[in-house]
Amino acid sequence: MDRNSRDALYTSRRFAPWPPGIEPDVPVPGYPNTWTHTPSQPLLRRPVTRTEATGPLALERKLPCGDSNLAEPAPGRMAIGQLMHITGRILDEDGRPVRGAIVELWQANAAGRYFHPIDERDAPLDPNFVGNGRLRTDDDGRYAFLTIKPGAYPVPVKETWWRPPHLHFSVLGPSSLSRLVTQMYFPGDPLNAIDRILNSVPDAAARERLVAHPVPPAEAGDRWLGFVHDIVLRGRHATPETP
Amino acid sequence: MSKDAASPARLLPTSQHTIGPFFPHTFFREGDNDLTRLSEDARPTARGQPILLRGRVTREGGVPCVNMILEAWQADAGGHFDHPLDPGRDRADPDFLGWGRAWTDEDGGYEFRTVLPGGYADAAGPRAPHVNLTLMGAGLMRRASTTMFFPAFPTENAADPVLSLVPEALRLLLLATPAGELGGVPVFRFDIRLRGAAGEETPFFEE
Repeated sequence: MDRNSRDALYTSRRFAPWPPGIEPDVPVPGYPNTWTHTPSQPLLRRPVTRTEATGPLALERKLPCGDSNLAEPAPGRMAIGQLMHITGRILDEDGRPVRGAIVELWQANAAGRYFHPIDERDAPLDPNFVGNGRLRTDDDGRYAFLTIKPGAYPVPVKETWWRPPHLHFSVLGPSSLSRLVTQMYFPGDPLNAIDRILNSVPDAAARERLVAHPVPPAEAGDRWLGFVHDIVLRGRHATPETP
Repeated sequence: MSKDAASPARLLPTSQHTIGPFFPHTFFREGDNDLTRLSEDARPTARGQPILLRGRVTREGGVPCVNMILEAWQADAGGHFDHPLDPGRDRADPDFLGWGRAWTDEDGGYEFRTVLPGGYADAAGPRAPHVNLTLMGAGLMRRASTTMFFPAFPTENAADPVLSLVPEALRLLLLATPAGELGGVPVFRFDIRLRGAAGEETPFFEE
């Protein structure tokens, strides 16, 4: 195999390597775990074979979907906090909607505490807020959750560090290479500019793309605040053709 | 029709971030780490040799990684994927999911139930039987992805276009080790060292 055709294998028609500036720089100063967990050896670049280009397409039976209302887990039981509606589209690098993608969201409560055994911080738990949900995108690639705005919280490390309010997203798209775990931030929060995780992304425009856009109140209405946040998965032609 | 000619403007992919320590336990259900079943209540596939994959995830100093999330993806026993990018999709096993998710216990241990994957011919070369694993957790800003191979296929492994990229002295680190049986099901052990001395750290691949 000559060098050109060999190189072509590393950049398939569908998957190019990550563009510069978008991947977080690791390890991250002031985030001690990254210095003990991040592989020290250079990553090997491998060809995109069928295993990497494919992925599970029928996960909705394995991962049941449908919890999109985090703010009111049962009728009349409202979580405490600022009600907010978050919606957006899951797109591929061509801007095509990724339909049927599985979107998982989890977050802290209004006091900045997670409903998770590992979070032992001295902040109140809300009996009406578990703070996670999972759904499938519609034909337009769209997802939507009703939730409350999460609080900021301190990270237990030596040099004081508060995480700004953020939502965690896990997206399972049509291929292993389009698998994405990311976080979404809120516009205008003063903690954004000093967050060690957000700022591990070198490119300013890439960081800006992790910040949601507010929906004008006249559009969102008087029941909740609205935010829009699109997520772009790696890959072109990523949406499998219907057979 | 070629869509490339009329491709819309290219969007840039969203940055990845760490999954953090708080990925909800409530997202896991019994059987999520079982690749052989389409759902919790589905019958396991009847095709292929059932196997158990077990291992420990450690970080610098050999300390176990607790609460790491692992996802596995592999071909079915015949070397096929139920996916449009597999030209042999119509021969894919309809009862095999090929995907599973596990989380590590206090000892860093994980387990997957699956079947021995089949190899297949790829444009890059003949793929030996393998399982792709991706790891997510606190301290990992980007997913760490690796591939495990099986020692029973020395000829196939020697020809595999991915394993061949790994420096020869490190290839052994990507081979699972036979570790007896459990209820008649062969067990393979595959430990993952996220960070360690060169020569001990598991080789990882760019995503």
